[in-house]
Amino acid sequence: MTSKGAAAPSAKTAGESTPRDRALRSQIERIEKESGAKAIAVALHDSESGFELHYNADRWFHAASTIKVPILLGVFAAIDRGELLPHSRVHVRNRFLSVVESVPFRVESGRDANSAVHNAIGKMMRVDELAYHMITTSSNLATNLLLGVIGPESVTETLRQLRVDDGIDLKRGVEDELAFEKGISNMVTANGLLRILVMLAEGKAFSPALSRRMMDILHGQEFNQGIPARLPKAARVAHKTGEISTVAHDAGVVYLPKRKPYSLVVLTEWDPNVSGRSRTIASISHMIYEMLTQKAQAAE
Amino acid sequence: MSISTRLDESSGPHEAPNFPLRVVDGLTLPADYRKALRPGEDWKDSNGFSRQLPRYFYEVPSWDSAMKVELATHFLLWEFVQVDVRESPVLRTFPRYVPCAITLLAVCLERFREAVGTFVHISANGGYRSPTHRFSKNATPHAWGTAANIYRIGDTYLDNRNAIERFSLIARQTLPGIWTRPYGTPTGYAEDHLHLDLGYVLSVPRDVKS
Repeated sequence: MTSKGAAAPSAKTAGESTPRDRALRSQIERIEKESGAKAIAVALHDSESGFELHYNADRWFHAASTIKVPILLGVFAAIDRGELLPHSRVHVRNRFLSVVESVPFRVESGRDANSAVHNAIGKMMRVDELAYHMITTSSNLATNLLLGVIGPESVTETLRQLRVDDGIDLKRGVEDELAFEKGISNMVTANGLLRILVMLAEGKAFSPALSRRMMDILHGQEFNQGIPARLPKAARVAHKTGEISTVAHDAGVVYLPKRKPYSLVVLTEWDPNVSGRSRTIASISHMIYEMLTQKAQAAE
Repeated sequence: MSISTRLDESSGPHEAPNFPLRVVDGLTLPADYRKALRPGEDWKDSNGFSRQLPRYFYEVPSWDSAMKVELATHFLLWEFVQVDVRESPVLRTFPRYVPCAITLLAVCLERFREAVGTFVHISANGGYRSPTHRFSKNATPHAWGTAANIYRIGDTYLDNRNAIERFSLIARQTLPGIWTRPYGTPTGYAEDHLHLDLGYVLSVPRDVKS
């Protein structure tokens, strides 16, 4: 996995050490140290001020469920090409083939926070319903069903065409335990996810209308213990979380009243039994919120 | 009657009594349908044997009609024509076409339902699917309208060896000549449904002259 030199946002502040940049880095380092996390990466793009922060942002992490954001992009690419319609129907079947020797596997219903998709086994669900469940309750079954329709290679090609493939490495569906044991996992960097979020927030993924539909789905996120947790009630966050035993992530776009949104990705890696993951992400999110809005207040 | 014309345009002698669907010669259909349905063409099965695809179809004018037409006492037509995005686009809209042998399958399933004494659920993509459906790699009886994938019987999901083998045995005891896929994961086996089929049966309505 090497850098492919992809597109926006540019790392225009990378290497330019401003007082604000230094202060933020210092605070993230402190949180990282106090949390017990093995690693933390942060990528930030503020559409209001143009400010960016890239802290360990090219370090690769296991993607966990944040890989569902690129997959969402792949689904909407198929819609954009006319290959799928939002109301196209997909057979809900809990049988998938591992990338390792095509061994069949199932998504365990007990490990999936969403029961709606499991309850539809044998029947059909619409593409937009599956996309919604894939993001808002992180349904692994919905994810594998959609990936089965469009194919991982189609997602990769979409990312390449949109020039947001740098920092995203999609190898397989989710819950492919055999692949996991062989070390074959989906990987992301904070910068990789940030590029996708910025593109979505700016309405540049296929069309403003399709970008908005994807953002609407991300706004429906039901797991709000990370980025949104310590933000004011007026904040709206379109985001996707991801968590397995060794990582906890959140990646989203934060909308605040009377200002343009900012996109934030926080990736964290942990020893399996360490707690406080969501709290750590929420702390970083809150600290960034404070920094971005204090400046605005000071300017007023 | 010319074989190159549709067999009936209105109620008349070609229409089965009390059966509302019109029979259509697949060879007379527009090119996009012929390409998807491949009426009368040969198609090789997984063993390399050539099988002739159905040529005569019932025309299903709308989803509403599919919801209403009874193929057997407990089976409506819609249950046999649920296909997803993997089906050819032209066959995902109406009118749709199902091989005439679909009625034989429905009668068998009705008999099976009597034997199990409860609801029999056919899965999506588990009734008729065309030879151009993405699941159709080799000649499969699904493209003849003579196969069904059953994912649930009553409250029992057929996703384990015990359930599949139990109901497979009932099917074989109840329906002479029926074939069921053995339980297992390799190609040719099934682990999350009961597949049963009548083989490559061609149903030619009696008024067809060829």
